[in-house]
Amino acid sequence: MAQLLAPGGSVEMACTAVDEGADIIYVGPLGLSRRPYESELTDAEIREVTAYATDHGREVRVVLNTYPSPFEMDNFLAKAKTFADYGVQGFVVTDGGAIRALRKMIPDTFIHVSIGSGISNSYDADFYRSLGADVIILPYRWDIAEIAQTRQTSDIGLEVFLFETVQTGKICPGKCIMSSYLRFREWLEIEQREHSYGSANRGAKECYRVCQATWEFGTPDSPQPVEIKLRRDARLMLEQIPYFINEGVTCFKLSGRERPLAMIRDLVRFYRKVLDTVQNGEQNLDQYVDELAELRGRWVREKSKRVDTLMDRANSYAV
Amino acid sequence: MFELSTEACNIKELREGDYSAYDAVYLGDYSCPEYPNNFTSNLEQLQAGLDLVKSRGQKCYLRLYAVPSNHDLPWVEDLIDAAIKMPFDAFEVHNLGLLRMLKKKGSTIPVHLGVFGNLYTHETAKTLKDYGVTRVCPNPELSLKEIAYIAENTPIDTLVPVHGKIPLVISETCFIVEHSEDGCNNPDEPCNYQCASEHWLKRGRNDGSHTDWSLKDTGRMTLSGKDLCMLEHARTLVDMGFNSFYVQSKGEGKDYVGKVGRIYRDALQKAFAGEAEPDYAPLVASLDALTREGLCNGYYFESAGQRYFGRS
Repeated sequence: MAQLLAPGGSVEMACTAVDEGADIIYVGPLGLSRRPYESELTDAEIREVTAYATDHGREVRVVLNTYPSPFEMDNFLAKAKTFADYGVQGFVVTDGGAIRALRKMIPDTFIHVSIGSGISNSYDADFYRSLGADVIILPYRWDIAEIAQTRQTSDIGLEVFLFETVQTGKICPGKCIMSSYLRFREWLEIEQREHSYGSANRGAKECYRVCQATWEFGTPDSPQPVEIKLRRDARLMLEQIPYFINEGVTCFKLSGRERPLAMIRDLVRFYRKVLDTVQNGEQNLDQYVDELAELRGRWVREKSKRVDTLMDRANSYAV
Repeated sequence: MFELSTEACNIKELREGDYSAYDAVYLGDYSCPEYPNNFTSNLEQLQAGLDLVKSRGQKCYLRLYAVPSNHDLPWVEDLIDAAIKMPFDAFEVHNLGLLRMLKKKGSTIPVHLGVFGNLYTHETAKTLKDYGVTRVCPNPELSLKEIAYIAENTPIDTLVPVHGKIPLVISETCFIVEHSEDGCNNPDEPCNYQCASEHWLKRGRNDGSHTDWSLKDTGRMTLSGKDLCMLEHARTLVDMGFNSFYVQSKGEGKDYVGKVGRIYRDALQKAFAGEAEPDYAPLVASLDALTREGLCNGYYFESAGQRYFGRS
């Protein structure tokens, strides 16, 4: 049975996603989940979400998908143990060493490999399986044939985003440190930390999504450089869902911890209906096309607002 | 005492450049299989390159493609099968799937983890040792203190890039081809190598904002606009216990690799010998003259990568 994995960028969002039918909620602790603090939760809030989800028969994953500093490794693992003691059933992790250490420390937990691991082929999935991971999230751009190939290469569980994109532009999750080359933003006081290390990939500093801003591109002597974004936006997916399930995908992930609550509420409600329809044996999803189009439009508008906000911040913070 | 290494993407670069200051050469461009006569995807050139490097008394490492998709795996595997039989001193792997493939093949050739292997922690370094990894190039975001900690707490050699543009992004498609006037991302069309001309990404200039962002783009890889320069910190690097250093030279002019290599070899030799530090100012000026956008210290001092701190 394929499961719906939904974001909990706040306690209210997490509880709403449970109410709307998500099977699993993922939440990020302050400083450890590659999102600004506004979309992360305190330990107490994670405990609250875990209790709510468990009471409703749902599961929680804690996103520990930063690349920790070597100086932070002990704290990173201690945090994981704390969350496991709250009753959290699994984690979303990027760092290979952290995956192996987590598996050893909490043998019965469930480990997802984050998109930040930067996988590009099915052997990557097999590598993370060998470290002890249970499920890996596949890149947006992979088609059914690549999912099938991965199924043949490894017995790791397969998770996909509920988004599709085309194979163009700089599509490089897990292979980008551009933002931290340009600017940093920190919020140590809120995280109650005295020091942070490095970049957005390491949690305490913000990724400005500079790949989604407008750049000039050309040779040094170009009279008129072209104005471009470095990547195309992904869009919400629908028609692939039955085929992906047939190829063994067991988990569908909705991203958007930093999106408005109403947007996530409506998306969880929509995809709950879609997954139930497919799992009841229906392959034709035409009945959902109009609703999807409306949701796609809302998603793009919200994302655009978000990128503008980030770039304004990037411009306003000192190097 | 120490190893200074750099790269050569094809036999032409290897023959025309001055590599005499280096102890080792990484063969191949890991970012793009289409790069002209790239050692990484060209078996015919590979043996000649290996022979040339060995004839110069240098170590020779083979780079493997950093982001092989499922469609690339067959040709990459063919290359590995051939290269395993050749006397390379190591393979450089950025992709952990290829690391898995090498282990399954029972390869005994040492493996170096490349810059896009995302090495951030000593725990990962220990994990990768079980896969035959003997050297790691930490992610550029790590500070010198963090790299030193990893070096001290793992039985693996640590490569420290000291000069050249910092690899920031790698992707599976070519940005230059996609945005060229006649460009279309058709895999059936042969590449016309527009990356032979420098391409840059710029933002914030001439629009009244105070941002001044500039990045170099080679098609599938985006690099820092500024060149990392750690010359003034040579003594610090030695005192911290590092002894494997690297100069990034892809896409630079043919004089770059020789000039930079000679300056760093001399500085590192003096630092290891405990000699008085030279007057770095003219040397830094000559390195700065090789750049379009100036110098930076990367992330080594816990800052945004494009800042330059100098000695102060």
